[in-house]
Amino acid sequence: MAIYKRGYERYQGPLTSHWTRVLVLPRFAWRRLFQQRLVLILMIASLIWPLLCGLFIYLSNRLDLLQSLPGDIKNMLAINGKFFLIFMNVQSVFSVLLAALAGPGLIAPDLANNALPLYFSRPMTRVDYVAARIATLVGLLSLVTWLPGVLLFWMQAGMAGWTWFTKNWYLGAGILCGFGAWILVVSLVALACSAYVKWRIVAGGLVLGFFFVLAGVGQIMNAVLRVDWGSLLNPTQSMNIIWSAMLGVEPPSGPGVWVCAGVLIALAVLLGLVLERKLRAVEVIS
Amino acid sequence: MTAAIEIDNLRLKLGRREILKGISCRLGVSGAGKAIGLLGPNGAGKSTLIQTLLGFHRPHAGSARIFGFDCHRQAREVRSHVGYMPESDSFIANLTAVSFLCLMGELSGLPAETALEKAHEVLFHVGLGEARYRTLGTYSLGMKQMAKLAQAIVHGPDLVILDEPTNGLDPSARLRMLKLVKEMKDEHGMSVVLCSHLLRDVEEVCDEVVILKDGLIVHQSNLEEERRSNRRFVELEVSGDDSALAAHLSALGAEMVSEGGGRWRIVLPLEFEIARLWQVTAQLNLGVRKLTHRRDSLEEIFLKAVGHLQATPQERLHADAVAAEEVSPHGHL
Repeated sequence: MAIYKRGYERYQGPLTSHWTRVLVLPRFAWRRLFQQRLVLILMIASLIWPLLCGLFIYLSNRLDLLQSLPGDIKNMLAINGKFFLIFMNVQSVFSVLLAALAGPGLIAPDLANNALPLYFSRPMTRVDYVAARIATLVGLLSLVTWLPGVLLFWMQAGMAGWTWFTKNWYLGAGILCGFGAWILVVSLVALACSAYVKWRIVAGGLVLGFFFVLAGVGQIMNAVLRVDWGSLLNPTQSMNIIWSAMLGVEPPSGPGVWVCAGVLIALAVLLGLVLERKLRAVEVIS
Repeated sequence: MTAAIEIDNLRLKLGRREILKGISCRLGVSGAGKAIGLLGPNGAGKSTLIQTLLGFHRPHAGSARIFGFDCHRQAREVRSHVGYMPESDSFIANLTAVSFLCLMGELSGLPAETALEKAHEVLFHVGLGEARYRTLGTYSLGMKQMAKLAQAIVHGPDLVILDEPTNGLDPSARLRMLKLVKEMKDEHGMSVVLCSHLLRDVEEVCDEVVILKDGLIVHQSNLEEERRSNRRFVELEVSGDDSALAAHLSALGAEMVSEGGGRWRIVLPLEFEIARLWQVTAQLNLGVRKLTHRRDSLEEIFLKAVGHLQATPQERLHADAVAAEEVSPHGHL
């Protein structure tokens, strides 16, 4: 029967599971995100560098010319921790840009349109809501971070052979865990900014400002005060130090790995508190 | 019979202010399709009570249960049985109505295909069929109200909580909204909680009414019973010699008071057939000029409950009749 001829009937059938419901939000969000041209363009642009890296891995394993280069130059072009660290640093910039573009559209419109009571009057808690929003960003950022990273690692492992893999397996684990931690930090920053300001464009600017302005402030502090802990203000630098340790590369000068990890954990807790405070079904003015 | 809503000594503080001060009541019957009107002056705690029922606030004492589930500890179970239409604008501006309802349906646990089907079905049901592919941001106020109602019922809940559903609606849209609410309870067996400032809307739709004032229930009644009891209060105006009327009616168990000039105010006993009154007047050869049921409007009940009225007209009539009966056994003043 045509839909317009049917009357309303209450649904009496089985309901979906809890986690299926939670994953509804990312599914709808991804559909809307990939309808935005800017997100698509940025996504494509962010895959250029992994393609170039893939090409380099292929050439370095296949071209006799590269194999026959003198030792020093050959070492410079080797596929090792340093190679993957450069890859991760470049992709981290794209992930910040993508988060700044996609993140604010996840929470700010819900707050601006007072949509939270609609979500929270359904079988969905605030934790579910935040988990769903983080899952949206994790899915999106994974496409430009650890997924191509792990693919490159397996490509190198496949071409270089079992010996290379047994010696360098930690690179794959480092890429996965390092990008996992980075995605979590970036997602929390994007969501907290989105929850803090209801205007989407301003929230996007705030995300970029958080990473790029803080980096500048950290550098200025290091230069003016002749210290190295200014780098702690720069989440990108802190993460770079952690990645270096994970990939077995000599870390850049600055605070130790554990200090950086502690600062990033503290930052994550702080951002979690912002979300806890801002995401409520109703605002209570005491 | 399980009550749809059971509230036991519910107390709620927001900040240092106590909003709900020990509310206790049992409302509706599970699966019986009853509508409960929630009334009260501004700041009485109506919206806070609704939000507490939905688990948005943690009560500091007492409990509230919906269909037997605790609203705070079993919020997820409660919410899977409830549909909520908030008072203020709540939507996702850049979604089409169909996508919005699909999303809301799926979040409530409908499988994706069913949610899409139900979204279309409900939008036609509330009269937004032709506008279902428009984004919600382009809707008029009346259309947004209907979209809010649609999202509240898309998953077929057992209880629908409507906070000021007729706000900002023109008369025809208001009638349509009330018709839909009546259908929800009468045809689909849903329990409905209707929170409104418009007493006429509540009177038209609801079976029970609760009046809140300063965080307390000051009146709770069954409107159906009120309507039935209203039928006992009659104003009669006759022409002719009515001196024997009091004696005849007293014999039938009625209480009455004469206002002179053939005007009588009568309290009929329960199960009294109005036809008997016609028989008595015919027997006494009296011409009936006027016979009306005197009823308390919800407005009068409300005004009395919030302290703006000493007694409802019905209560005054009853008190007058009792006083007259004490002075003169046949009710003549």
